[in-house]
Amino acid sequence: MNVISEARRHNRRALDEQAGKALLAEFGVAVPQSAMVAGVGEVDQKTKSLTFPVVVKVMSPDILHKSDAGGVKIGLKSAAEVESAIRTMMQHPAIAAARIDGFLIEEMAPPGLEMVIGGVRDPQFGPLVMVGLGGIFVEVLADVSFRICPITRLDAQQMLAELKGAAILKGARGRKAVSQEAIIEVLLQVGGENGLLMQHAADIAEADINPLIVSESGAVAVDARFILS
Amino acid sequence: MSPSIIERFMPLFTPKTVAVIGASTKGGALPNTFIRRIREFGFSGAIYPIHPSAAEIDGLKAYKSLAETPQPVDYAYIAIAAGQISALLSAANGRVRFAQVISSGFGEVDEGKGLQEEVAAAARAGGMRLIGPNCLGIYTPRGRVTFTEIGPKETGPVGIISQSGGLGTDIIRRGMGRGLRFSGLVTVGNCADVSPSDLLEFYLADSETRVIGMYIETAQDGRRLFEILRAANASKPVVILKGGRTRLGLMAAASHTGSLGGDDRAWVALSRQTGCILVDTLDQFIDALLMFQTLTPQPQRPTRRTVLFGNGGGTSVLATDFFARLGLDVTPFGADTVAALAALKLPPGTSITNPVDCPVGTLQQEDGRVAEKILDLIYASGRPEALVMHLNLAAFVGRTRPEVLDNLVAAALRVQSHYPGQAHFALVLRSDGEPSLEERKREFRARAVALGIPVFDEMVNAGRALAALQAHERFLHDRSG
Repeated sequence: MNVISEARRHNRRALDEQAGKALLAEFGVAVPQSAMVAGVGEVDQKTKSLTFPVVVKVMSPDILHKSDAGGVKIGLKSAAEVESAIRTMMQHPAIAAARIDGFLIEEMAPPGLEMVIGGVRDPQFGPLVMVGLGGIFVEVLADVSFRICPITRLDAQQMLAELKGAAILKGARGRKAVSQEAIIEVLLQVGGENGLLMQHAADIAEADINPLIVSESGAVAVDARFILS
Repeated sequence: MSPSIIERFMPLFTPKTVAVIGASTKGGALPNTFIRRIREFGFSGAIYPIHPSAAEIDGLKAYKSLAETPQPVDYAYIAIAAGQISALLSAANGRVRFAQVISSGFGEVDEGKGLQEEVAAAARAGGMRLIGPNCLGIYTPRGRVTFTEIGPKETGPVGIISQSGGLGTDIIRRGMGRGLRFSGLVTVGNCADVSPSDLLEFYLADSETRVIGMYIETAQDGRRLFEILRAANASKPVVILKGGRTRLGLMAAASHTGSLGGDDRAWVALSRQTGCILVDTLDQFIDALLMFQTLTPQPQRPTRRTVLFGNGGGTSVLATDFFARLGLDVTPFGADTVAALAALKLPPGTSITNPVDCPVGTLQQEDGRVAEKILDLIYASGRPEALVMHLNLAAFVGRTRPEVLDNLVAAALRVQSHYPGQAHFALVLRSDGEPSLEERKREFRARAVALGIPVFDEMVNAGRALAALQAHERFLHDRSG
């Protein structure tokens, strides 16, 4: 399945979260184990292969900001809790009025440091890849670094080293150090020689993995957004 | 096999035949000035004025079209109304290699965008490469062609590409006084055909060129620029003066060369990934080029520890701060070095840790030979990667014989020669602008430049240029297995 041509066939200007994660997985980026259900009836059966707790998210082309619309519920410990969460969601006015593709049920990522990895297409230089620390670091302080794709391993290492908050990766303020190697792998899978942004340079206007949750041992793309060109 | 970049572009840098379009029978037009300038510059090839009716221009036989010249044209200088140019090029029948269109009124204004495409198409159809439009010309000392009134006659190692004509003139004129010598300078204007990347490829392959400087407002083929620079892997230092790095600067650039620039973040990334040096001002550009022209990068030992040596305590302190911010350590000497310097029993007021602050009284002892002893100890024991000698000329006035300055530099050079390749040596000559002092500085600078020493006006200029050298060395160092 090519998720990009599928989205184009439906005249969508962006990939939904499930399609975005499928694309990332194709390039080797770890994404949470998940199942898609059309409604409460399928929950029990489809969650059998998942490890609780899970998160449930509404999938709709009409809803851009799922959390704001009440379309995200985290920390659900059983199939019954998932069913109840879906029923509550469907009561929300914004969700009730929208076209619903289904509900995405995902395993919760192990706790870790929130990072952001993104991509943008520059009219002169083509795809650029970006990395930053999540939350206020990227939103308020704009502590990010960019490179022109494709990047090398050394480029990826230097991108992390030049972040003002680089010390946080090494475990500042009593926290454990996170795996820089895992972040570098994702940067290469996204922005490297045969990475996602190079392979789909003509199709992707913007990419945003936010957050990428990084622990001592690995990195998981917990949310992903791709805007098509 | 397709011809190499050198084969394709060398005729631009060493043309045998030059056509000039737009010269007037009465003289006084810009193309008449161009004819005079290249003759004065020693151009020995054929010059063909092209004119619809005149038989002769400036004493040269004129031809009615580019198709009628006795020999094919290597380089055509074109300054006629924008609307007449496509017809002129179409008539050339493939007999022109490079056409440079000086005229403006093309892509930099809305109504000229169509005309620019038309001219580019006419050039393509005629099998020639088009440079410009909206530029000033080329300066190529090896080909004895120049668009400027003055410029060094000798060929040097610095190859320049400028998207602005006026800035191109500044680079030649100001650079000349500072000691820069060029392998060529091409003003490329709106880049309807030949792009900065094409010329970058030429300079990278050209054996005369050791250092490359580019003034760029917009790189329509940024991707290619990135790929060329990355493949070059900083084999030659490339200094980029980028215009339009802010939103307002971008708007100014759009009306200057007629195309929208990209994101500044991409330019910063370009510099990190390819080792090219990004600078913000014309002074920094010339300073960095001069540094690369005169000093040999030492990638196996990137510049960090720097010794400042000269007169002026406050100047030394401020420079220490400034250098530190650039990643250049003016670290105090170790105990051994300090002890060795103390044994020289220098006059009071001399500071013998780094920075070494020597009042004029100390510097002029034994006609500057004391300075030699100090420097020798610094090199032997302090082992810095760079030494910046700074002299505040005003402090010497009326106190010393003029030879002291010469002696000081001669002393520094002798020490330098005893420790080959150990430390970069740069000179800062500070003046207060007083005319007689400026005159002495000029003479003194010329002598230093002739000896291959880079000379800077202030400590900040030397610091930034040294930081550029350091960035280049580090880039090579980090990528040398």
